[in-house]
Amino acid sequence: MTRPPLPGYEAPLSREAAERLADTMFALAAPSRLLILSALLDGPRTVSEIIAVVDMEQSAVSHQLRVLRDHRVVSVERRGRERLYGLRDEHVGALLDHARRHLLQLDRPSAQSDRLDRAG
Amino acid sequence: MAVPSPSIAPLADRRAALDRAHLGDIEGAVGTVRSYDTAPRRTIHRRLLTLLAVAGPGLIVMAADNDAGTMTVFGQAGHGYGTQLLWVLVLLAPALFVVQEMAARLGAVTGAGHARLILERFGRLWCAFSLGDLIVLNFALLVTEFIGVTLSLGYFGVTRYLSVPLAAACLIAVTAGGSFRRWERAMYVLVAADLSVIALAVLHHPPAAAIGTGLVPRLGGHPGRPALLLLIALIGTTISPWQIFFQQSNVIDKRITPRWLQYARVDTALGTMAFVAAAAAIMIGCAGMLGSGGADPGHLIDAGAIARLLALRAGPAAGGLFAIVLLNASLLGAGAVSLSISYSASEVVGVRHSLHRQPRDAPVFHGCFAAFVIAAAATVLIPGAPLGAITTLVQALAGILLPVALVLLLMLCNDRELLGPLTNPRWLNAIAAAAVTVILILVTMLTITTVVPGISVLDAAIVTAAAVAVCGAALAMTFRDARPPRPRATGMTPWQRLTWSSPMLELVPAASGTRARLLTLALLRIYTLVMLALLAARLGSLLAR
Repeated sequence: MTRPPLPGYEAPLSREAAERLADTMFALAAPSRLLILSALLDGPRTVSEIIAVVDMEQSAVSHQLRVLRDHRVVSVERRGRERLYGLRDEHVGALLDHARRHLLQLDRPSAQSDRLDRAG
Repeated sequence: MAVPSPSIAPLADRRAALDRAHLGDIEGAVGTVRSYDTAPRRTIHRRLLTLLAVAGPGLIVMAADNDAGTMTVFGQAGHGYGTQLLWVLVLLAPALFVVQEMAARLGAVTGAGHARLILERFGRLWCAFSLGDLIVLNFALLVTEFIGVTLSLGYFGVTRYLSVPLAAACLIAVTAGGSFRRWERAMYVLVAADLSVIALAVLHHPPAAAIGTGLVPRLGGHPGRPALLLLIALIGTTISPWQIFFQQSNVIDKRITPRWLQYARVDTALGTMAFVAAAAAIMIGCAGMLGSGGADPGHLIDAGAIARLLALRAGPAAGGLFAIVLLNASLLGAGAVSLSISYSASEVVGVRHSLHRQPRDAPVFHGCFAAFVIAAAATVLIPGAPLGAITTLVQALAGILLPVALVLLLMLCNDRELLGPLTNPRWLNAIAAAAVTVILILVTMLTITTVVPGISVLDAAIVTAAAVAVCGAALAMTFRDARPPRPRATGMTPWQRLTWSSPMLELVPAASGTRARLLTLALLRIYTLVMLALLAARLGSLLAR
């Protein structure tokens, strides 16, 4: 399968691209932040809506939203007096989705036997 | 969660971090330690190489401790009292080491900065208080650093309108480079230059016998308020909250993990020795060259005047050396003090904060640093700004708030959920508690003698000792009642105990509200409110006059 040669999309990552990618992955690497992101999969929400879905304290949710915004995973939009938080682009959702599928794959019996084969 | 399962993954990559740039290889000014290279160091040669790579935060914080304010105060002490107060330095050194070692350990084990830990363990009120306190004090400190720049370059005839903007630009350029290694190298140059002050004591010093008697604790012939004031100033400039915040964050940014704690301790110890050597050299040099008899001990002179006096009595070489070291100390102090603010503010807010990052990657962190430096530089350049009054007020405030910062530090270091097997041992708690008590007594005495005009130092000492004794007894009783927390260390190998690191902050169980903890926090709150009220009252009466 060949990828279209987009700029900054070299097959072996450049050092700088790897650093930036690791930054993005770091933003995803906390259970609380993954919970918040999963609450945003269906579309933008306000902070109070997120709190209701993920069952965390308000200060914790605000803090983690700030981390996600700082890493440009989440974007914020003002609508009247409300602030709507949403995934920055569709790739964030896809990333989450693929990571979950990866886990499902690991949990399948066939995957386990595969591992055993290799170990043996 | 508490006991990590054995894993081949490098410790440095598994630990909790607030910023990804805090994970990875240690890139020191001299040497690198790869994140996977945790093997035992068997030869002395290897150990030394590792020490060279890991050392830095302790050396820098201690050299920066010897900043413009410290040089002035120690110079004043030498000027007014000769070497009589040398013993204070000898007593301060272990306290300084113990405090900074705790901060470095907190950083290495938790991966979270001091301000962030206060937020997580004591809540928003204490965090806002600590951060606000830090910002106000650091701004004032930064102003004194820039005053140091004007005084030192003014000695050579450079106008402040050139020296101050130049210094600010240098500081911002060095910090915004986006390379931890380059930043640390620049700091090392300043650290090395700082130590040249030892030549001052070698150039000219009082007879060795006078230095010897100075090591015996006593308050000299002036056991009144001026001596007490100077004593507090000596303690306050030596041990200050920004150093705790700075070293903890810098240890994290340097990517030091619990595996390297022993090396970090050596680093802190070397730094302490460097600080003591430099501060003693200033005190001895000023004592030898100025003579302690002629001057009025209550009359305090600024650092520029000390340099000119030195030139007058001991030759231009001594005056010039003092001025150069003053410039150097001011720059080093300014760099570290403003970094402690940008680290703390960024980690509390939750944005990226690392010297490994360039300004476009960490705009808040670098922006905060630049804004702080520029604002302080501008304040110094405002004609007729009441700089002396600001400095005095802030010294009073710093003294009052220091015990609060130390108690919070001590509580964090006894937090078993946070530090697991690396919490303070008993003997360390005893030393730290003794230091905090002494500082608390001195500060309270000073505040009482300032606020109640007629009271004698002895009466103030009695009142303070009684108050501290009552609080101490209450605390001791609750601590005795409190069941000792179950040691978490059982079942760990020594290696696991030594390399234990905290889980991710959000996974650490909330602090349990034991009675001892609640009582300590309540007493701390009462102390802070009473002291701030006394200071406000004193300020009000001064303004009304």
